[in-house]
Amino acid sequence: MLQNVDIDIHHLTRVEGHGNIVVNVSDGTIETCEWQVPENPRFFEAMVRGRHYSEVARITSRICGICAVGHTLASVTATEAALGIEVTPQTRKLRTILKHAENFDSHVLHVYILVAPDLLGAPSVFPLIPTHGEVVVRALRLKRLAHEWGSLIGGRTTHPITVLPGGFSSVPSERDLKAMRDRLVAAVPDLEATIETILSVADKLPAFDRPTEYMAVADDAEYGLFSGRVETVLADGDRASYDVSDYLGITNEFVVPQSTAKHTRNRLRSYAAGALARFNVNYDQLHPEAKKAAEALGLSPICTNPYMNSVAQVVECVHAVHESVRMIDELLEEGVVEEGLVQPTRFGSGVSAVEVPRGILFHDYTYDDEGLCVRANCIIPTNQNHGNIQLDFEELVPQLLEAGAAEDDIALKLSMLVRAYDPCISCSTHYLDVEFKR
Amino acid sequence: MRYLIGIGNYSGYDDSIGLRIIETIAEAGLDRDFTAIELGGNLLDLLHYLDEDVECVLVVDSARMGRAPGEYVFFTPETATTRKQLAGISTHEGDLLKVLELAAALGRPLPPITVMGIEAETIAAGIGLSETLRDRLDEYVAAVVAFFDPPARA
Repeated sequence: MLQNVDIDIHHLTRVEGHGNIVVNVSDGTIETCEWQVPENPRFFEAMVRGRHYSEVARITSRICGICAVGHTLASVTATEAALGIEVTPQTRKLRTILKHAENFDSHVLHVYILVAPDLLGAPSVFPLIPTHGEVVVRALRLKRLAHEWGSLIGGRTTHPITVLPGGFSSVPSERDLKAMRDRLVAAVPDLEATIETILSVADKLPAFDRPTEYMAVADDAEYGLFSGRVETVLADGDRASYDVSDYLGITNEFVVPQSTAKHTRNRLRSYAAGALARFNVNYDQLHPEAKKAAEALGLSPICTNPYMNSVAQVVECVHAVHESVRMIDELLEEGVVEEGLVQPTRFGSGVSAVEVPRGILFHDYTYDDEGLCVRANCIIPTNQNHGNIQLDFEELVPQLLEAGAAEDDIALKLSMLVRAYDPCISCSTHYLDVEFKR
Repeated sequence: MRYLIGIGNYSGYDDSIGLRIIETIAEAGLDRDFTAIELGGNLLDLLHYLDEDVECVLVVDSARMGRAPGEYVFFTPETATTRKQLAGISTHEGDLLKVLELAAALGRPLPPITVMGIEAETIAAGIGLSETLRDRLDEYVAAVVAFFDPPARA
């Protein structure tokens, strides 16, 4: 067993945002073992105060450049709950297809660009180009599909423009929907190849089980996405169900010394959100093809290995494609029509829960009689996973030390663990910093 | 097909300049001869617009180039190198040049790409633009439209 370990990973790479891993072991005693998040709060809840309900989603969409669809849907859904708006079945279906597109897009990015390098022994996607070029090209092909799939429904994938409180400003033509259906069907071989790729490196996924509580949206009608209730399941299968409006009592945010991001807990000291949590909560409602994929990948509920979150994301990609094909078929059979926006029937408070790629996202708004926002609260899934990552660290590090793992291996396993949760800590800046060649 | 692509972070102050130029052009209906795309920070999506048969791509982004705040420069990617220390690529790690490096490494033919870099004054959390960039927004828009209009550019 290593007696001294000094791991200080400042701004872990291949995660979205900034987080640090710090582990110190001195004479065999663990002195520090922390997942730290050092980022600033961004005050979006304050930015939307005083804004008209028609503007709020435009602002909150900017919380995230990856989950912009999720934040938009969470925003309009909470606004609709506050304003007594019941959207049409067509709107619900189009939003569901759009949500699938976003989850697919983000999962492809995460699995292929952020996680695959660990499994294929590379520091980033770049060294994979000469050795696994076809995998990188496939990743970009799937990502392009997702981009155009989301853009068809949302006007654009990042910060969608057609999604409004009460419905859509415009809807896709039946011809375009049919074309997208054909493209989704044509992507199935790429999904099968994705499963083969994951299977070929499955032995690189660490075997680590730590039972926790898994939280996701649950809906009798579908694999939980953005309507229904909140459900949690423990490793022994014990379930609890909550109304979405009780979100504060489920999340129980609290602060910890090593992080500027809040942690959360419910029935246990922490809980997990994300693809694996959705899989554990909603397995029965997966599309049959997704269940086949899960079986092929050796994933079954209740899975308590957090590294398998990336595998659950692949299963969800299969689900997203087949469910979207099914829903497009329904829409084409029913006929797609331009509908006016459903208008408010009251002004008050409303809460939503939406499954974005990284887990359950809550938005909560109160509007005054003029439709101006007077209070807002957003609880982001990545923050809901920080506590679970910390407790995983506290169980994994002693196991690795006991097993005689080298310091580099401990650092890699911890980095992979954080990446498995696909954290999206905050959206940062992307400006160029260049010098010109002479 | 000709693309104008704005990238940046709307809540990153001057980092949003590329997005605001797109917004202004779209609102004014100035995108008659090209397609204006607001890409946000999802830079990998830029690859989807780099098909071989695309006539040209102009990407607008905020930049640190050692110029006075508000100055802008049109340049091609091969004439610049990034000063960022980048270990990999994600929507949070990486920049335009890194994405183009990925596209080139894949060996795919790329269309002509030009970058309009605008020297930022303030990059920080917050919605808005510095006064310097805000005052020159119309000038940037005119420069972009002229780029797609060779006679005017000449």
